[in-house]
Parts: sequence; structure tokens; C-alpha cells
Amino acid sequence: MLRSPALLLAMLLAVRAFAAEPQIINIKTLQAQMRYDVTDFTVSPGAEVRIVFENMDDMPHNLVLFQAGTDVAAVAAKNLEKPDEAMKRDWLPDDPRMLAHSKAVAPKTKDEIVFKAPDKGGSYPYVCTFPGHALSMQGRMRVVLPGPGLTGLKFALYLGDWKKLPDFAALTPHREGAVADNLVQLKFDDYKNQYGVVFTGKLAAPKDGEYTFLLASDDGGRIAVDGNKVVEDDGVHPANVREGKVKLKAGEHEFRLEYFQQAGEAELFAAWSGADFTMTPLSKWLPAGLQSAGPKKKKDETPSIPIVVGKEPVLYRNFIANAGGRPIAVGYPGGVNLAWSVDQLNLALLWRGAFMDAGRHWTDRGGGEQPPLGYDLLRPTADVAPPFAVLASTSAEWPAADKKADEAKGSEKRAAGYQWKGYTLDAKRFPTFLYEWGAVKVSERYEGEGEGKLVRTLKLAGPIPANAYLRIASGTIQPAGDAFAVDGGVFDVQGRSFENKYAVAAQGAQLAGRNLVVPARAEIKITYAWAANHAGHVH
Amino acid sequence: MKSLRLLSCLLLSTTLTRAADPQESDYYKITTFETPQDTALEVSSIELLPGGKLALGTRRGEIWTVTGAQGDPAKVQYQLFASGQHEVLGLAYKDGALYETNRYEVAKLTDTDGDGRADTFLTVTDKWGVSGDYHEYAFGSRFDKNGDLWVLLCLTGSFSSETDFRGWALRVKPDGTLVPTCSGIRSPGGIGFDADGEVYFTDNQGPWRGADNLQHLIPGTFQGHPGGFKWYDKAPNMGPRPVEPNDKSRMETERARIKELVPPAVYLVYGKIGNSSSFICCDLSKGKFGPFQKQLFIGDQSHSNVARVFLEEINGVKQGVVIPFLQGFKSGLIGGRMTGDGQLFAGGSDRGWGAKGGRPYSFERVDWTGKAPFEVHEMRARPDGFELTFTEPVDPATAGNPASYKAREFTYIYRAEYGSPEVDDVIPKITGATVAPDKKSVRLTFDKLTKGHIHELHLDGVKSAAGLPVLHPVAYYTLNEIPAK
Repeated sequence: MLRSPALLLAMLLAVRAFAAEPQIINIKTLQAQMRYDVTDFTVSPGAEVRIVFENMDDMPHNLVLFQAGTDVAAVAAKNLEKPDEAMKRDWLPDDPRMLAHSKAVAPKTKDEIVFKAPDKGGSYPYVCTFPGHALSMQGRMRVVLPGPGLTGLKFALYLGDWKKLPDFAALTPHREGAVADNLVQLKFDDYKNQYGVVFTGKLAAPKDGEYTFLLASDDGGRIAVDGNKVVEDDGVHPANVREGKVKLKAGEHEFRLEYFQQAGEAELFAAWSGADFTMTPLSKWLPAGLQSAGPKKKKDETPSIPIVVGKEPVLYRNFIANAGGRPIAVGYPGGVNLAWSVDQLNLALLWRGAFMDAGRHWTDRGGGEQPPLGYDLLRPTADVAPPFAVLASTSAEWPAADKKADEAKGSEKRAAGYQWKGYTLDAKRFPTFLYEWGAVKVSERYEGEGEGKLVRTLKLAGPIPANAYLRIASGTIQPAGDAFAVDGGVFDVQGRSFENKYAVAAQGAQLAGRNLVVPARAEIKITYAWAANHAGHVH
Repeated sequence: MKSLRLLSCLLLSTTLTRAADPQESDYYKITTFETPQDTALEVSSIELLPGGKLALGTRRGEIWTVTGAQGDPAKVQYQLFASGQHEVLGLAYKDGALYETNRYEVAKLTDTDGDGRADTFLTVTDKWGVSGDYHEYAFGSRFDKNGDLWVLLCLTGSFSSETDFRGWALRVKPDGTLVPTCSGIRSPGGIGFDADGEVYFTDNQGPWRGADNLQHLIPGTFQGHPGGFKWYDKAPNMGPRPVEPNDKSRMETERARIKELVPPAVYLVYGKIGNSSSFICCDLSKGKFGPFQKQLFIGDQSHSNVARVFLEEINGVKQGVVIPFLQGFKSGLIGGRMTGDGQLFAGGSDRGWGAKGGRPYSFERVDWTGKAPFEVHEMRARPDGFELTFTEPVDPATAGNPASYKAREFTYIYRAEYGSPEVDDVIPKITGATVAPDKKSVRLTFDKLTKGHIHELHLDGVKSAAGLPVLHPVAYYTLNEIPAK
């Protein structure tokens, strides 16, 4: 399961660090995910281990370590058989295989577990033993022994000006010798640049199985075992950790590491690991920058559950980034999409391409805002604010969002004077949003025109106040033929940046400061169009 | 001869095994339905529709209608009625419309063109706060006896009240008016009615909740968690804000200080009955679901089980007993509904909290096999003990022997910290056990009862007249009030 060379190194370094001081492992529970942030860490046999366990979740948890091979699911299930007894033990199982444990840690508090690591190598599982938690709150502590090192290590130094590894076998060494400490190293004081080295030695595989070799070389390097290339990073470059795997029979094998140095920095690292032993360095030097690495956090593994739009529009109500309160996202056939805020009763985002990814909301507890999945996001108005206002004159600025109301939590966040009435789906399943602005009943419907356009139609019924306007765009706005070209200003959504440039057209549209407004009337039709060449797409 | 003897031995041993070891499944059978391939049917609410149809709301925001769920599970048919909602935690049917409570609103859904899919989603009310915190669940009821719907708003993050009426129960009048009705809600798991139409909800262990409990929702009251007190300013109908409860106290003590405080009708004893209580279903099947007419059946997400509650009213306060009922559901139970024909439909998911069931989601049905288990039927408080009735005649020798019972009295700390250990243990002596002439009830006398304590009663020694042990030989009675006579 070790995928990251950096993680391997971190483990290796953890092992090396052990002898002198206790190994400190920081483990947190992830809020609302029923998981630990660290699910795999490595300690040395017999080491003093200190686990700092911090509970970030909204409910109590513990962390209980068991002997290698313990069926933790069965232990956790057994705990539920006599819950009254288990509860008296704070849900700690009555099981002799328990190795170490935290107390029951209340939300937002922590505990420390100090214990001596077992002397025996192996994988020691840990779980939360609160009822039901062990299904997802699992991890393992690995007690690992270092593996065998090289024996009979020799070097052959070559001189030459290479951009790639040469065929050393066809060259004559400048100098040869034995490496006394059997560790690969670049201690050739007399040469700084333009040389190559071939290291050869023996490696004893403890048993049949797969072995992993790591290589980091500046410049090119290659490791071969029994004449077969296992890992290579040729050319002129800084040291990056590369990984290769090879199946070996138990017993001795020929190890060969070829290396060349062109100019500048010269660094060389090699290591190997097997099923029974941790990553064991075969070189004196370890890549810098990885020295301080602790156990790596498990990456956020939120799966992707894209919602596919077919022949009918698809609605998705959930937490959507930059879309205001209580948003509704609609994906239309043909690849245009929008997000509309029910708190502000207004359009928030337009985009095209794929609709939404529900992975974040349909796994774990479903918290957090999800950005749209597609591309060319547009934000027609700079802030998600109510759609209508009464303006004294069109030279007046659009009323600034009431900051206080905006920041206020609760229902004050909602647009004053507006009422959300719901929506209907027509025969094509296109939604029409219904709301009221004072005494005016508003219905709002959208329809895509291919991937490039979206037509927005509002119908107003009832007494429309004098000088009432609908804001349809904001930014730097220029008339362009029948339409207006809008540069809404670049905006970011969760790490993606969007140019926010588009064309908008509506009968009677007029500039009001930095806004484009339309006088409120019985029917208002607005067309939003993306630039044809996807120019709005910024990475 | 030899084979005949062997056969009779086998028969005998089978009989003995069954006699000594009754199983829940002898009495109640769980049927697990296949669910639609293209979704995760994380059932979070269930409602009955005309013509034997069901409506299932899901955590993914879908509403499915189900045909044929009462019969052969292979013939069940599903139709997607609505999608794109944000967690459907309440469904109520009335006059051709389905009223849905989702995170943002109560909406009236109708299928005007008769294609089996909803096409109008009209807002009945949405006058509550939504901050964007995932824990702000909104649970909705069915229509109560006055024609109102109830909405329960979970606290923000299950800890605080950051937006309007978080931690409150609200009623939605038929005209859409929203009436703040009870404060003190923490993290609800379900809402339902008893046989008289009184409203209850289940709340989950946490701050100010020593354990999960079943709460009686009486308009105007405070249900125990003070986190939402600030909204009294917006609820003039509720009168002044109650006195704040003292931390690290006892419910019994604070009840005397805070007149609006309603104690749990039943503590759903943490870890023993469940860990995250959910739906409430009342058996109104007039015997079609077995001998527990008018009792309440409570789901649990974490334990994937159902518990049974018998309630009575003493000095105007609801209280009663909870007894384990049925385990072995395939996922964590959230939504549940019992039909008039005595079928209990239940479903749920383990998402986010884990559940014993093992499957990520499920939709299941419970049928009574027609055989009555030997169980405590009802448990009633008496001035000096309890009266137990049984589903079957008891064996007078064991049931009449105080040594067949064991009792313990305990409570929880009422505090701002999360949950509580069981505290203030009292071990009473059972001074008498008198079997009634009809052998269906037993009068137990205790040397002491403790007001406010949970009275845990074990009946391991009690046998039925037929020699069976009690199927679930434990009962937890929450003694808010001791009757005078």
C-alpha cells in the first residue's frame, strides 16, 4: 500500500530517529468523517511511542491499539454484545490483545498515549471502539525492522562529459576501489563535475518476494539487480525520488548502481524495502527536505460522483460554492448550467460543460461547499444580491449590499421584502422559479441555446413600483452591437480562476454605474452568451 | 428401529433447543428489499400513500414511490418521484400532495400531469435559518391531529444556534404560518405521534443530553438543551426566556427550578438500547403487528435496531419503559413507518456515523409471524414499585419469586459537556413479587424508588407458563414521577 516514496522515506526516517528520543505521532479525528487523519505510521521495535490524539469531531472517540493480527471488527462487534459492561469501560473492549489506548476523548479535546512499541515486527491495527465507529475509524501502526544492507560494495570512477548515462561497460575506469562502510556515496574530493560512478555489491533478499528500490540522483542514475534495470532517472536534473519494484528469490543478488554528474549539485540516494523490513538506506546521503517529514496525512479521498445531465434538466440543491444561500443548481441539456440562490432570489453562477460532482455531499456526512464541475464560470453580478431595486436615476449606483444584513447570521441574510414560493417543472422538466417582490409576483425561467447561450426570462405580475430596475450584469461594460460586452473581473472558486467575460443582451438594457440594468416590466428576456473560443477559461 | 429412535431424538433436541432459546426471528421477520440500481437508497423518511404505495425520501435528496412493498419483495417497483432536494427528512401525505421537509423548507409536491413524477414544488414555509453547516438537519413530521406539520431544527454543528431557530421545534399551520413551539432541541433523529396523537421526538446524546431520549413535545416548553435560547426574542408567543439550567446538575433538580423544562419521557439508555435514536412509529394495527398495540417503536442508526416503548402519564408527565425489540437490520435506521396492517417499513444508511448493520443503506420490512413472544408487555409505576404485564401467562413459581428479578436505579449528569456516565446508583431491594390470578401480570414492590432515576429491571429468572424465558429480559423505566396511588 505504500504509494508515495516520500511516505517511505518518512517511515524510514522515523525508524532512524527512534534510538535517541520518543517517537511522537500526531493523530486527529476528522470532523464529520468518522476517520482518523493518519491511518498508517511506522515505529521502531521497542521504541517509546507517544501518540498525541486530538478529537476534532463533534462526538467522543478513542484510539485503541491491538496486537498484530487482531480482527478489530470482531472485537468492536463483541463490545456491543454486552453494551452495559462495555459502557462502564468507556467502550474499551475487554480483550487481552489490547496494546495501548486513549481514554474516551470528548469533542475538541486531546489525550496522549505513551507506550513502548512491541519488539516484534508487524502491522498493529488501531480503531475507535465506540459502537459502530470501527467500521471506518481504522489505521495501523507498523513495527518494522531495517533490512539488510549492501556487502562487498565496490566503486569504479569514470571521467567524461555526458548528458545521459553512458555505456560504462565500454569505458575504462579512471579509478576503482572498495567502499569500506558499504554505503553508496559521492566522496570523490578530486572531482566535482563531469564524472560517472558504477557501484557494484551484493544484496541478500531474506525471502522470495517483491522488493522496492528507491533512487534519487543528481544527475542521472540507474539501479539494476542481477543485470535487470529496476529504477532509472536518466539525464541532467535535480534529485527526485524514483521508485521501482522487482521480484527476487531468497538469497544473494548482484546490485549495480550507475550514476553520472554533469555539473552543479551532485547527489545520490538509494534504498530498498521488502515485505518484512522497512525502507533501508543503501546510501550515505538522504534527500534533503524529507528529513523533517512525519507520518503523512491520508489524502482527502472524496470520491467523485458526477451528476450527468441527459435529455432533461437536472436539479441539485446542496451547498454550492459562490452561489449564495440555499442554492439550486440546474444542469440543462446541451451543457449549460446555473446556480440560483433562494436566499437572494437571484442568479448566482453560470457555467458550461459538466454539471456538478455530488461526491462531497453524498459521502460521509455531506458537509462543505462544492464548486461547479464544468468550465467558463460566469458571475453576472459581483455579489449575490436581490435582483430588483428602485433607483432615483440610472446614474445612481446599485444600492450597495447591506453589509450588516449580509454578515448577520440567520434569516436576516435573506433578501428583505422577497418571498420564495417554490418552483414548477414544465413538460420538458425545465424549472420555473417563483417568488414575490413585495406585491409583484415573479416567475423566472432559463433555457439554453447550445453550449454558448442561456436565455433568462422573467415575468412580473402585479403593481410594479416606479423606477424599478432589474440588475442583469456588473463590471466593466461596453456596448457591442445589440449587446453589451461585460468584463466582470476575474474571480476564484476554490482554487480555480475564471475570467468572467461574456456578452449580455436585453431589450432596454442600460448602464447604471458599473451595472447593466433593465427597467422592470411585465416580461424581461435576457441572453447571456459566452465568448465563442472559450476565452474565459483561465487555469 | 434404530433410525426411528434417531429421528425422535432429533425431534426432541430440536424442540428443546427452541424451547430454551427463543429467537427474535421466531416472532418478527425482517425482509430486505432490493433497491434501484442507479442510486443509493439511503432511506431517511417514509410515508404511506393511497393504494398501498409508499413514498421514500432519501439523504441524496430523492423521493421514490414504491408499489408492492407489502407483498413479495421480488415484485416491488420503484418510481423516481422527485430528485435534487437537499436531504428529505420528512414526508407527509395529504389530499393528493406530498409535503416534504428538506433542509431549506417545507414544500408541497404534486404531480399535476399524472406521469408519476412531481412537477410542482411549492414552498409552504422556509422561515428558518440555514448557515451552510452540514449538521443543520431539518426533520419534518406527518400532519398532527390539528392538521399542523412539525419541523425540528438541529443545532448548528449540533452544538450551537447560529441561525434562526436552530435547536427549536416549529409548527407549520395549514396557511403556512410558522409557530415557534418548543426550545431545547439538540440533534433530533426522528419525530412521531403516540396513539393519542401526542407528539414526540428522539434526541441524540451530546451536551445537555446524558443519553439519547424520547421527548414529549408540548407546545411552549423547553426540551433540555439551552443552546437556542436567544430565539425567544423572536418568539413572543413562547413567553419569556426560561431560567438557564445549571451545569453539572441533574434533570430532576433542574425540573424543579425551570418550569418550562420537560424531562425525557424515556431515556433510550445509551449503549444498551441504542446510540443514535431515530424514527418513532406507533402500532395502530389493532393487533396485526402482535401484542404491542399503541406502543412506540424507535429506530436506531448506530445499532441498526428497533426498541419498544410503553408510555403512561403520571401527574401530567409522560414517562415509561424502553425494552429492546428487534435487531439485525442491514444498515443504520433513519426512516420508519408502520402501516395499519401491521407492517413496519424501515430504512436508512450508515453514512457519516457508521452502523452495526454493515450495509451502506437499506430498505426493509418487518412482519409479525403471528406468534407472540414472551415479553414484558407493559410496565407501570406504582407508589412502591411497578406492575408488569406480560404477553403470555407467567410461571407463578418463577415470576412470583423476587429473586427472579434484579433492579438498579441510576441517572445521568445534566451538563454542558458531551454525554454522561451513568451516575447516582441505587440498588433497591425487591421486597415482593405477586402474580395476579390471571397470571398475566406481576406486582413488584421495591424498598425504595428514586424519583428522576432510570429503573433498570432484569428478569432473567422469570419463565412463562410454557417454560420460556423472557425474550428480552431487561426493561428501563424512566421514573419522572412516582404515583401517589
